[in-house]
Amino acid sequence: MHSLHSRLLLAASLVLAGFLGTTGLALDKAFRVSAEAAMQERLQSYIYALLAAAEEDANGRMIPPTDLPEPRFSKPDSGLYAVINGQDGSSLWQSGSLTGRDLDVTEQQTPGARSFSRLAQAGRQLYALAYGVAWEDYDGAEARYTFTVAEDSAVFAAEVNSFRNTLWHWLGGMALGLLVAQGVILRWGLRPLRSVTNDLQQIEKGHAERLGGQYPKELNGLTSSLNSLIEHSKSVQSRYRNSLDDLAHSLKTPLAILQSSHTNRNGDTDIDLTLVREQVVRMDEIISHQLQRAAVSGRATLAKPVPVARIVERLVRSLDKVYREKQPTVTLELDPSATFTGDEADLTEILGNLLENAYKYCKNAVRVGLQSDTNAAGVEINIEDDGPGIAAEQVESVLQRGARMDQSVPGQGIGLSMANEIITVYGGQLAFAASPLGGTLLRISFHD
Amino acid sequence: MHILVVEDETRLREQLRDQLRHSGYVVDIAADGEEGLYFGEEYPLDLAIIDIGLPKLSGIELIRQLRSRERHFPILILTARGNWQDKVEGLESGADDYLVKPFRYEELEARLNALLRRASGWSKPVLDCGPISLDTGKQTITVSGNPVELTAFEYRVLEYLMLHAGKVISKAELTDNLYEQDYDRDSNVLEVFVGRLRRKLDPDNSLSPIETLRGRGYRFRLEANAG
Repeated sequence: MHSLHSRLLLAASLVLAGFLGTTGLALDKAFRVSAEAAMQERLQSYIYALLAAAEEDANGRMIPPTDLPEPRFSKPDSGLYAVINGQDGSSLWQSGSLTGRDLDVTEQQTPGARSFSRLAQAGRQLYALAYGVAWEDYDGAEARYTFTVAEDSAVFAAEVNSFRNTLWHWLGGMALGLLVAQGVILRWGLRPLRSVTNDLQQIEKGHAERLGGQYPKELNGLTSSLNSLIEHSKSVQSRYRNSLDDLAHSLKTPLAILQSSHTNRNGDTDIDLTLVREQVVRMDEIISHQLQRAAVSGRATLAKPVPVARIVERLVRSLDKVYREKQPTVTLELDPSATFTGDEADLTEILGNLLENAYKYCKNAVRVGLQSDTNAAGVEINIEDDGPGIAAEQVESVLQRGARMDQSVPGQGIGLSMANEIITVYGGQLAFAASPLGGTLLRISFHD
Repeated sequence: MHILVVEDETRLREQLRDQLRHSGYVVDIAADGEEGLYFGEEYPLDLAIIDIGLPKLSGIELIRQLRSRERHFPILILTARGNWQDKVEGLESGADDYLVKPFRYEELEARLNALLRRASGWSKPVLDCGPISLDTGKQTITVSGNPVELTAFEYRVLEYLMLHAGKVISKAELTDNLYEQDYDRDSNVLEVFVGRLRRKLDPDNSLSPIETLRGRGYRFRLEANAG
């Protein structure tokens, strides 16, 4: 069941089968009930006809009918039978159709009363209606009779069967028609999904850049998310490529210095250890900077919001451990509801770098403030210390975008410029101010 | 001081071992997490240097297991990636400090000294006992302000005694912390070193900073200066 199409088709077919089946059963039952009622009516009308056909003798007593209203009464075994019983239950008269057989009805009905029943006699199923009659002669003496008319149920069964045949043929035909219609509707309804799949294949093959077709509005969320995922992965890719380029370029310089330091002017092998050490440090800085820059994932479309307070607390706990000796007084004013939309590792990197600077350069006080800005749907983080502060020209070189690491930034610069770069990728801002504590106040703000 | 180095890169592992031994530490090395766990559990260690990316058992997991088995010696983690998530994870698992590769040996040694000193209850990098002052950062000794030249080995003996000032240190304990496991302990080398230390620190025999307690060991007699 891995296809939507077959799932829907199966479900709809089951529902259809259930619906049509119950409808059929209900109609069948209704038909039987009404056919039985009709049968009862017919038998009653035969009884009235027999009564009408009955004669009277000179005294006004009943003589059983001779001129029968329905030829089937006279024809043996015709399936329609009549019996008249007297007051004592004795059979006064039987229709000609009963020649050679018996209809065993002894129950007496009071005048005007009737009883409808199914009888099984001599291997036959019969529907019988008994009707009580009072016959008054001229002397006013009353004789009571019970008229019973019975009809073979084969007639009834045939009627029901023919109805059933018709009914089930129609229902079957309808079911088939509906199934076909359903299949067609499903194919048509699911066509946009197939077209998204085809378009994605086009992107995979490199024939297309994005999902550009017209999709129904139910799919718009999906397709626009897919488009932003595609764009995000493209931008990550290009960041990787740029970082690799930069890495290669910026490593060339120290490598060139190292290479030319092998031999001095006299052609002797003479390695200047200080120079080697300097260049190694520089190369290390370049590599870690470029790798971290490449590792920034940037604002992903489906990223879940990261609670900022939790990350600040974890970092503070870790830094407290490392700076156990210095033991700066750290004040946290954190709004627990503030969140950051992006990668947790990136936020940890930003805050880790900036907090470590604060721990490192403070005299003994660090303060971290965190507010969620509900109006602009963003978050603002303030990190301040009571250290000596950062020189203006350093601030400038840090904030200058794309400051290459091979123009080595000393001191706080490395962590700061790293943090600033990640912040920039997320479209956030890093601002410097003087802290009331006496040192630097760093304000990081992100807007969603 | 007994140090365990758990590092899978052979070259770096052996380099660290040689440099640390040269500085006068007793060093054991392990190439993977499982081996590291064995040493950590079986040997009386003063400190462990653990690389985060280890085969068999990751550095983080190794630290967690050591801590869950009540091993409380300081742990310094080495990380190649240097990102904050790794650092935080390492510190939360029970490490005490981290160092990002590549590092200079001097930096490593400064961190080790700080951790060892802290573990012995000294909060400042300079150990002051009476007129004797030992700077664990610069690894220098002064007596009443005058510098005293010590060999790396003598320095380790004095540092160990001063870190545990006031406590009796048996010869066996001192030997364990100064020599490799399989070293011949029968020699009287230790006594010779202590004798030399006494002469260098206290040429006119007025201070007698190191006491000999017969059959029990040595004790650094001077108490730590307040403040």
